[in-house]
Amino acid sequence: MSALNLACVAVFLPVCVAGILWVIPALRTRGRIGAFLSVLAALASTASALILFGMQRAAPNTVILDAQARWLTREGRSMADVGFYLDGVSTSMLVVVCVVALLVQIFSLGYMADEPPAAFGRYFTYHSLFLFSMAGLVVAPNLLQLFMCWELVGLASYLLIGFYFKKPSAARAAVKAFWVTKFADMGLLLGIIILYAQTGSFSWGPEAVATLTASGAATAVGLLLFLAIMGKSAQFPLHLWLPDAMEGPTPVSALLHAATMVAAGVYLGVRAMPVFAASDQTLWVMAHIGGFTALFAACVAVVQTDIKKVLAYSTCSQLGYMVAALGTGEIVGAYFHLTTHAYFKALLFLAAGSVIHGVHSNQLQDMGGLFGKMKITAITFIIGALALAGFPGTAGFFSKDLILEQLLHAELFFPYACGMTAAFLTAFYMGRVVFLAFFGPPSEAAQEAHESGFPMTIPLVLLAALSLGIGFFGTQLAGLYGAEYHFHLSPTGIVASALGFLGIGLAWMAFGRRPGMNLSAFQPIGNIIRYGATDRIFKAVYERIILGASAVLSWIDRYLIDGLMNWSAYITVVGGRELRGSQTGRIMDYVYFLVFGLLVLSASGWIGQ
Amino acid sequence: MIPTLQSYLLLGSGIFCLGLFAALSRRNAVGLLVGIELMANGVNLNLVAFSRFTGLIDYQVFALFSIALTVAEVVVGLAIVILIFRHHRGIDTDLVSEFEG
Repeated sequence: MSALNLACVAVFLPVCVAGILWVIPALRTRGRIGAFLSVLAALASTASALILFGMQRAAPNTVILDAQARWLTREGRSMADVGFYLDGVSTSMLVVVCVVALLVQIFSLGYMADEPPAAFGRYFTYHSLFLFSMAGLVVAPNLLQLFMCWELVGLASYLLIGFYFKKPSAARAAVKAFWVTKFADMGLLLGIIILYAQTGSFSWGPEAVATLTASGAATAVGLLLFLAIMGKSAQFPLHLWLPDAMEGPTPVSALLHAATMVAAGVYLGVRAMPVFAASDQTLWVMAHIGGFTALFAACVAVVQTDIKKVLAYSTCSQLGYMVAALGTGEIVGAYFHLTTHAYFKALLFLAAGSVIHGVHSNQLQDMGGLFGKMKITAITFIIGALALAGFPGTAGFFSKDLILEQLLHAELFFPYACGMTAAFLTAFYMGRVVFLAFFGPPSEAAQEAHESGFPMTIPLVLLAALSLGIGFFGTQLAGLYGAEYHFHLSPTGIVASALGFLGIGLAWMAFGRRPGMNLSAFQPIGNIIRYGATDRIFKAVYERIILGASAVLSWIDRYLIDGLMNWSAYITVVGGRELRGSQTGRIMDYVYFLVFGLLVLSASGWIGQ
Repeated sequence: MIPTLQSYLLLGSGIFCLGLFAALSRRNAVGLLVGIELMANGVNLNLVAFSRFTGLIDYQVFALFSIALTVAEVVVGLAIVILIFRHHRGIDTDLVSEFEG
């Protein structure tokens, strides 16, 4: 099969399944059939993506597929193209997306098995929709297609966060996620419009960027696009929606809100790097916001009591690393970390899901001592935690070191310091979760926990293998898109690893050595962060400014715009009432009018002559 | 005295005006129809006169169409008059005022 056919299979098969399940409720409400179709489509997508990856390996640093269909032609010139653009970056991202999506769907077969069949089918319909949108985003040849798919993944995210829509908190979280990202997406839309106005294309290629730079709008476009990245990739201060998004089912958190969808922002940064690199100010802002988010979210993660919230803030923090790395103007660090993070964070979430499935609670205090009861889950979770903490030899070790080295090399000292501190905190909070959940005395709920079934453990083992192994292939991965990367042990790497060990050790001192000890001294600080100021500030802004503006707009709408409408309706009614007298209903009168009109016309013709 | 085009046109417009007057003043529906018929024939006379004095056949074709149309119109008109008679027990046009506003 040609590359085009494979790409079509990878992208369109999931949406076919989603469409079939959508229009034929009989298949969807049976549950199992829908799930089977969806997993089959994901399997086909993954196979196609892997074959494409093989083709890319055979021809590194080339574009293996650039097929575009014209859409919206004007004067024979194409205004916008949609299609496939597969090079080293998009092909490897496609593999990440498809593999994680497939494993998460298989995991969901076990995790969601207790749901009623209709909900089960609905869940997999949304998953297929998401896989299509995300694959379409990855292969997008220009910003327009990326924007459309960007909104589609936002929709899929909304639907999946609100999957338990009967639960008020889930419904609220879905709406919150939708609004926050929607606000940020305005930046993307405006950026694209300015880009098109200045260059006449939706491309992020060098020619378009050269025109853009010449026009002086490069900083504006870069910052607007970065606003969209902040929303999608949950950067401070638009990170608020991500912790709430944990209301969705845990596999959804693994796929959308850890591995792939939130990484779409970073992916946009990687793809459109020429646009960002055209302006030093944009890069500076990216590096600093990313670095601050990495540190801030890591601090918040330390005091969370909900295992999913810890992982959510950890995702924020890791995305901060990637965004900071983008701020150096080079894509290799951010992109490498994106790839490794996708695997180990999906692993962590799925393992957390397995734990939650076992103890029926998200709270860390309901866990403990699970190591003996859930061996596979525990070991895979610990592998994921080590990878996240940057334990030497694991995936996170290589990519995080690369980012820190890049930051140091680019002399971005504030993000570098943040990243170093966050590396320590990452190890600490992951150590805390591991010691609290898997060691120490078991709680009541944990007594009856038992290992999950095969559909859940197999993805865990596969992802654990990937988390351990992927880091060693950094050179090859970078080679696919023509970047140079060779691992070498630098002082930065040694310090970061030492900080990681220190964090794990401190976590062991605090939570492992003497189980049950709580850090009561830190509670007030924890409370301040946990019920953080950010949420309150946003609430105040929302209540004062947005609701105030809405009230003004509502008055204008109600009394000015509606008033105009009502007034014209009133005029029509009164006019009709006054004019009805002229309708006598007698034929003669009408004929008189006719003749009169004829005379007037003739007279006007006469005078005009 | 040889009739000129002008005399034909004068006769035609005279017949047209008589028809118009009838159509406007008669309250009897059949009288109304007769008035309309007169108006149409006044116009037809004009057309035929034009044909005679210009030597072009087009006007005659037009006149034939006009006659055919008038016949069709009378058929429909009389049918309506019959229906009005059945409905109102009379053909006075003042009786028909359902469309009064």
